[in-house]
Amino acid sequence: MNIPRRYWRNLDWLLILAVLCLTAIGMVVIYSASHSQLAAAGLNPFHYVQRQALAFVIGLVLSIVIISIDYRAWKRWSKLIYLASIILLVGVLVFGKSVFGSQRWMRLGPLSLQPSELAKITLVLALARFFEKEENALSMKGIAQAALLTLVPMGLILIQPDLGTAVIFVGLFFTMWYVGNARLKDLLIAGFSLIAVGVGVVVASLQGWLKVIKPYQLTRILVFLNPYADRDGAGWNVIQSIIAIGSGGFLGKGVLGGTQSSLHFLPANHTDFVFSVIAEEFGFLGSLFVLALFVLLIWRGLHIAAIAKDTYGTLLAAGATSIFFFHLIINVGMTLGIMPVTGLPLPFITAGGSTMITSLMAVAVILNVGLRRSKIMF
Amino acid sequence: MARVSIAQVQRRLLFLLLVLIGAVALLAARLAYLQLWQNEFFQAKALEQRLQRIPIEGLRGTIYDRNGVPLALSVSAHTAYAIPAEVEDPEGTAEALAAILDLDGEFILGRLKKHSAVEWLKKKVTDQEARAIMAANLPGIGVVPSSTRVYPYGSIAPQVLGFVGIDNQGLEGLELYYDSFLRGTPGQTIFERDAQGRALEDGVRGYLPGQRGGDLVLTLDIFIQRIAEEEVRRATLETGSRLGLILISDPTTGEILATAIYPTFDLENFADYPAANRKNIAVTDTYEPGSTFKAVTAALALQEGVATLRSGFFDPGYIRVSGWNVRCWNRGGHGSQSFVETMQNSCNPYYAKLAIDLGPERFYEGLLRFNLGHKTGIDFPGEMGGVLRAPSPSVPLVTWANMGFGQGLTVTPIQLLACFGAIANNGIYTPLRYVKELVTAEGSFPPDVPEPRQVISQETAQTTAYVLRSAVERGSGKRAEVPGYDVAGKTGTAQLVEHGRYSHSKMVTSFAGFAPKDDPKMAALLVLWEPQGAFYGGIIASPVFARLAEKVLTYMGVERKATARSSGVKQVSVPDVGGLSLEEASAQLARQHFRVEVVGPGDRIIGQVPAPEAVVDEGSLVYIYTDVDHIETSTEQPNPYGA
Repeated sequence: MNIPRRYWRNLDWLLILAVLCLTAIGMVVIYSASHSQLAAAGLNPFHYVQRQALAFVIGLVLSIVIISIDYRAWKRWSKLIYLASIILLVGVLVFGKSVFGSQRWMRLGPLSLQPSELAKITLVLALARFFEKEENALSMKGIAQAALLTLVPMGLILIQPDLGTAVIFVGLFFTMWYVGNARLKDLLIAGFSLIAVGVGVVVASLQGWLKVIKPYQLTRILVFLNPYADRDGAGWNVIQSIIAIGSGGFLGKGVLGGTQSSLHFLPANHTDFVFSVIAEEFGFLGSLFVLALFVLLIWRGLHIAAIAKDTYGTLLAAGATSIFFFHLIINVGMTLGIMPVTGLPLPFITAGGSTMITSLMAVAVILNVGLRRSKIMF
Repeated sequence: MARVSIAQVQRRLLFLLLVLIGAVALLAARLAYLQLWQNEFFQAKALEQRLQRIPIEGLRGTIYDRNGVPLALSVSAHTAYAIPAEVEDPEGTAEALAAILDLDGEFILGRLKKHSAVEWLKKKVTDQEARAIMAANLPGIGVVPSSTRVYPYGSIAPQVLGFVGIDNQGLEGLELYYDSFLRGTPGQTIFERDAQGRALEDGVRGYLPGQRGGDLVLTLDIFIQRIAEEEVRRATLETGSRLGLILISDPTTGEILATAIYPTFDLENFADYPAANRKNIAVTDTYEPGSTFKAVTAALALQEGVATLRSGFFDPGYIRVSGWNVRCWNRGGHGSQSFVETMQNSCNPYYAKLAIDLGPERFYEGLLRFNLGHKTGIDFPGEMGGVLRAPSPSVPLVTWANMGFGQGLTVTPIQLLACFGAIANNGIYTPLRYVKELVTAEGSFPPDVPEPRQVISQETAQTTAYVLRSAVERGSGKRAEVPGYDVAGKTGTAQLVEHGRYSHSKMVTSFAGFAPKDDPKMAALLVLWEPQGAFYGGIIASPVFARLAEKVLTYMGVERKATARSSGVKQVSVPDVGGLSLEEASAQLARQHFRVEVVGPGDRIIGQVPAPEAVVDEGSLVYIYTDVDHIETSTEQPNPYGA
C-alpha cells in the first residue's frame, strides 16, 4: 500500500489526539467503575478494560483499512453496503440475543456485534451519496426518498427496540440534509412537523389513546419529567447519577474514590452512566476537560467537512461528526437529568466493543476525507 | 446535484459548530449548577443514603408510689436485628437463631429474606440470649439495647398505671398520659453501608446511647392501694356485684391514695383480659350518684341560706312538683324531721324541695363550682365530664327536683369524691390527681394540675360535715361507724339507667365519706354496680367502708379517740420491725401472735402495715414489704456492642 507523503501531513493529529485522550480516560473510568464488582464476583478486575482495549485494537485495524481506501471509491459500493446493513438489522431481529428486553446484539465468534451501531455509518454513506448524486435531491420527491433511506433502518431499530439510536438517525438525516444545502424553509417545516408528531404521540400515549410506545419507555419519559415519581424504580438511576455528579464538586473525589460508583448506588456505571463517574471522581474540572475533548473532536470533524475536496466528502465528514454530537448531548444530558434515559453510549468512554469499533470507524471516515482534501493554496 | 457554493456550505458548518458550542455550554452550565452551586447538598445526600441508622430506645422511667416503692420499672434487655443484605447463609442463620431465641425458623428465614435495610427479629431478648447471639458471630445479625417493663410487687393499681406495648410505648393509663415524659430520648447506632446494605469495613460508625426517661412519683400509696384492692375484691364477690370500685384520697391535698377496681387484670398479661377490666372507671365512667349527692345539695342549700340546721320538714312520702309526685324511697314518709334527720333518713322529698328552693340558676351555678358537668383536668387519659343540664325552659322543674337527691345527672367517681373532699377540707375544693412529682436528672417538679379553690364557706363545710357525721352516727350509714374514728358520710342507692330507663332490678349502691370528721386524713368512695339481693347502700356499702377506714387509718397511725372499744378481743400494739432482717421480723411478729405476709421480692424491709405502735386486735395480719434491690435497675446503658 502506497500512501503519498502529503497524506501524513494532512492527517488531523488534533482529532486523533482527542480520540486517544478520550479512550485513555475511558479505560481509567471503566476500571474505577467496574473493578470492585468484578473482584467481588471472582472475576479479573481488568475484564472490561481488556475488552475495551481489544475493541480499540480491532477498531484501529479497521480504521487503517478504511483510511487506506480513497473515500471516493466507496461511492460505487454505496448501495451494496447499505443493503448489507439492512440485512444485518433484519438478522439481529431474527437471530439476535436479547439483553434487558431489547434485541440489539448478534454473536460473531467471540465478539458480539451491534448492527445498529454499524447502521449509523452505512446511513451516513448512503445519504452522502444520495445528496451528492441525485439531481433533484432537494425536491419534494428527493427528500421523500432520502427520508425513506433513513426510515428503513430506523424502523428496524425501533422494533428492537432502541429508541435512542433511532433518534440519532433522525439527527443524522436532518444534519446531512442541512449540510446538503437544504432549503431552510423545507427544513424548518419538516423539523417542526416532526416535533409536533413526536409530542402528539407522547401525549396520546400518556393519555392511553395510543399503544405504540412501550410502557417502560413511557415510564422513562414520566421519570424524566420528575425522577422522584418513581424514586426506587425507574427514577433511581437518574437520582443516583445526579447525586454522584453533584457530590463530585469542583475537583472530584479522586480516581477509585467515587462513593456513588464504588458502593454501587449508581447502576450501569461503566456503560450508560459512565459520565457520572467522571463527574464524581474528576469533578467539575475533569468533566469540563472531557467535554472540551469532544468539542475538539467535533470541531475538527466539521473543519474537515469544510475543507473537503468535494460535496461527497463534506457530507461524509459532517454526517460522521454529527453522530458524536448527538451521542454526547443525549448521553451526558441523560446523566445530568436534562434528557430522558436512553441506552445511548458515550463514544470512546462507555465500555462496549461495538461502540468503540464503530466510533473509530466513523473517525476513520472523517480522517479519510481530510486526508484527500484539495491542496490548500497559500 | 450541482456543486453548491463552498461559502454557503461553510457557513452552514460554522452554524453547526455554534450549535455544538451552545449545547455543550448548556451541559457545562448544568454541571456547574450541580457540582459547584449544589455541591454541599448532594454531598450530604450521598452521605445520608450511605448511613444506616438503627434506633436504640431510651430506658423508660420508673413509676414509684408516694413512698418511693417502684411499681413499674424498665430493666435492660436487648433487641435482635438482622441486616438481610449481610446475611450469608439465610437457612443456617435462621436455624441457629431459632435455637437461641426460641422462635420459629420459618419466621426468622422470612425476615432474613426481606429486601429491607434492617429487620427486627425479637424484642425483649435476655442477657443470656444476647450473649449467645454475639458468640455465634453470625454475619448480618446483631443486638442493640432495649428494655422490658417489670412490676416487682405484682399488678398494683393496674387500671391506673396502664401498660406499655411491644415498643415500650404507653398504651393506657398513666403510662400513656405521661408517655413522652417516661419514654426518654431514643439514641441510635449508625454505620455506613453500600447500596446493597452491607456495612463498610472502614466506613463511618457511630453510637449514640438513648437517654433515660423521667420518673413519676405517684400519689398512690402501695399499702393503702393493697388494702383497697383486697376490700373491693371481697365486697364485690360477697355482694355478687358486677363491678366494684374503691377510691381513696387525701382530702386536704387532692392526692389519690388508692384506686381499686374489681374485676381487675394482670399487667404482665394484659392482653388476656377483657378491655372492660382495664378501664380506670374512677375517671373514665360516669354514673348517677343517687343519695350520696344529697351532701352536695345540703352544702349548697346551707351556703345559700335556703336552709339552716334549724330547718324542719314534714314528709308525707312524696312532694308535688309542678303536677308530678316526687316519691320518697320510704312510701309511708318520714313524717316530721329536723334538717339533720332528713340526712339521717335520706329523705328524697326534702332534697327535692331544697333544689327547688335554690332554683335552677343558683343550683346549677353551685354545681359548676363543684366542678360537675365538666372535666376536672385530672392527669389521666380519657376523663369524662358527666352530664349536667344547664337551666333552660326545656328542662322541667321536676328534673331539678330529682337532681336534688342525685338523679338525672351523672358524675365520675373522682368528681363526687372531690366534692366530699371539699366538704371535709373546710370548703376548699382540691381537684384530684395521680402524680405527686415528675423527676428528671435535672430535678423534680409537680405536675400541671388545677389550683384548689374555696367553693363553700368554712362554716358551711363544717356544718355539712356535722350533718354527714350524724348520718353515720344515727342514720342510714351507721354500719360505717368505726370505733374511735369519727366517720362522716352518706350512703346512696340509685337505679341503673338502662336503655334510657331506670332499671327495676339493677342498682348502683355506694358510700362516700371521710374520716376523722374534724381532722380528715382520708376521703373515700365505694361504689358497687349491680349487687345481688340487699342492695341498699346502708346495708352493703357501709360495712365495707368501715373495714376500709379502720385499716387505712390504722395504717396511717391516726390515733383513735379515747372511746373504749366495745369488742372483747384483746388489743395489742404492733411492733416496729424496720431495720430487722426478714427472719428476725417474722419471728418477732410470730412470737406476739401476729400473722405475717411478706410482699415484695427482696430481703430488706422497707415498710409494714399496720404502722408501728398501731393498736389492733390480737392475731391480726401484718404485711411486711421488702425491697427490689436485686433487680438490675441500672440507669447507665453502656454500649456492649463495640460499635
